[in-house]
Amino acid sequence: MKKRIVALVICATMVIGFGLASAAAGDKVFINGMDANYPPVSFIDAKGQPDGLDIMAANWIAKEMGFTVKHQPTDWAAIIPSLKAKKIDFIASGMSVTPERKEQVNFTKSYHQTIMMLVAKKGTDWNTEKAMKEGTRWGVQRGTSEAHWIEDNLLKAGKKFTLQQYDSAPLAMEDILNGRIDVCSVSKTSADEFIEKGMPIQILGRYGQPDDETAYAVRKEDTELLNMLNEGLDRLMATPYWQELKDKYGVK
Amino acid sequence: MFLNGFIAVKEGLPYIIQGALVNVVVVIGALLLGCSIGLPMAIGQVYGGRMLRRIIGVYVWFFRGIPLLVLLFLFYFGLFSFLGLNLSAFAVAVIVLGLISSAYQSQVIRGAILSIPDGQLKAARALGMSDARAVFFIILPQALRLSIPGWSNEYAIVLKDSAVTYALGVAEMMARANHVASRTYQHLHLYIAAGLIFMALTYIGTKALNIAHNRLKIPGYTQ
Repeated sequence: MKKRIVALVICATMVIGFGLASAAAGDKVFINGMDANYPPVSFIDAKGQPDGLDIMAANWIAKEMGFTVKHQPTDWAAIIPSLKAKKIDFIASGMSVTPERKEQVNFTKSYHQTIMMLVAKKGTDWNTEKAMKEGTRWGVQRGTSEAHWIEDNLLKAGKKFTLQQYDSAPLAMEDILNGRIDVCSVSKTSADEFIEKGMPIQILGRYGQPDDETAYAVRKEDTELLNMLNEGLDRLMATPYWQELKDKYGVK
Repeated sequence: MFLNGFIAVKEGLPYIIQGALVNVVVVIGALLLGCSIGLPMAIGQVYGGRMLRRIIGVYVWFFRGIPLLVLLFLFYFGLFSFLGLNLSAFAVAVIVLGLISSAYQSQVIRGAILSIPDGQLKAARALGMSDARAVFFIILPQALRLSIPGWSNEYAIVLKDSAVTYALGVAEMMARANHVASRTYQHLHLYIAAGLIFMALTYIGTKALNIAHNRLKIPGYTQ
């Protein structure tokens, strides 16, 4: 009786274990991990398809260089662990090049300068100086270059404002409108997009963070993919299509 | 303001509903996996030896004691990568929810088995049935019927838990509601829509199991 039960338990567990092991994908398919909540750089369009400046650029490069690209929405705070765990193959989603990230991954050449801005609700009297004072409630997207920069250069240097971290830039914007935070640090590209979509937001200006180089990230060992993406970026930026894309998505 | 919200929901609905299907598939997969591990475990816990009971006890403790989010990250980024298995976020969602559910389901079934009067097993033995036959043909058919209300509860819990898998990047309903909200900035309406769809799914599932419970009831059977 007991033996039979033990055998049954083991069999059931094994059958299920093997049954669920999924098959690997074919070659020449590379998965781009995207922040699906970062319009206009990378987002999901009204038809449910990945869209945005970086998505269209990656599509063009894939076609030019002869590989298939799939876009996988991935949580931004976990995007580098996802890359290193081979859940995705590269990141073309407005990622800033930082020294900490450079230790983990390789970057392609820069294709864009990300300018960080402080924004507040329209009609309020916030400015960048007042925002540095004690008691201000700052918002920022978790796991971003701005979140690290603010922690390292402002909070650790003795600034007393509180920093509230969000999963995505749109959620931080939502909380500015809700009044839970006073100011928020976002890329100028995002801020322009919010304003263009009619959100009552005003740009206060720079708060001291240097401009970020923006590039695609790949795993350290994937030099072949790195070279292919660099070559693809070179070719793309030499075409008029690149400027068309930037105009279309309002990225300067 | 309100009009824009409704337009965003209407436009985003097909995309969000595809996400609801992902939730449903995750839940069905997890419940089946949970049942196929939970049932043998329940039998083992009731009829097994001391060692087996202890092992199952630790398993149940592990999966009931650790928060879902911790287990998802532990399996997705930790365990499976460590073992060299590159499973998709979807597969990990089904496996983790299934393993957690197996711990809970084993306790539901165990309770049901224990509620069957001891005399039945003795009577079956007296009629010349082996222990295994008696359990499979006398005890389990009754115990599994009694487990249905517990399963109904488990379905609702796993369904709601499936929204948490969005942290791994599973393209389920909550993740998709956020995607649409990031483009349209109509967070309130989109979260209401997602909530209503979850309520509808909970209702449909628990109702179906309720009907199954009544249909499968042995007429005139009382304990």
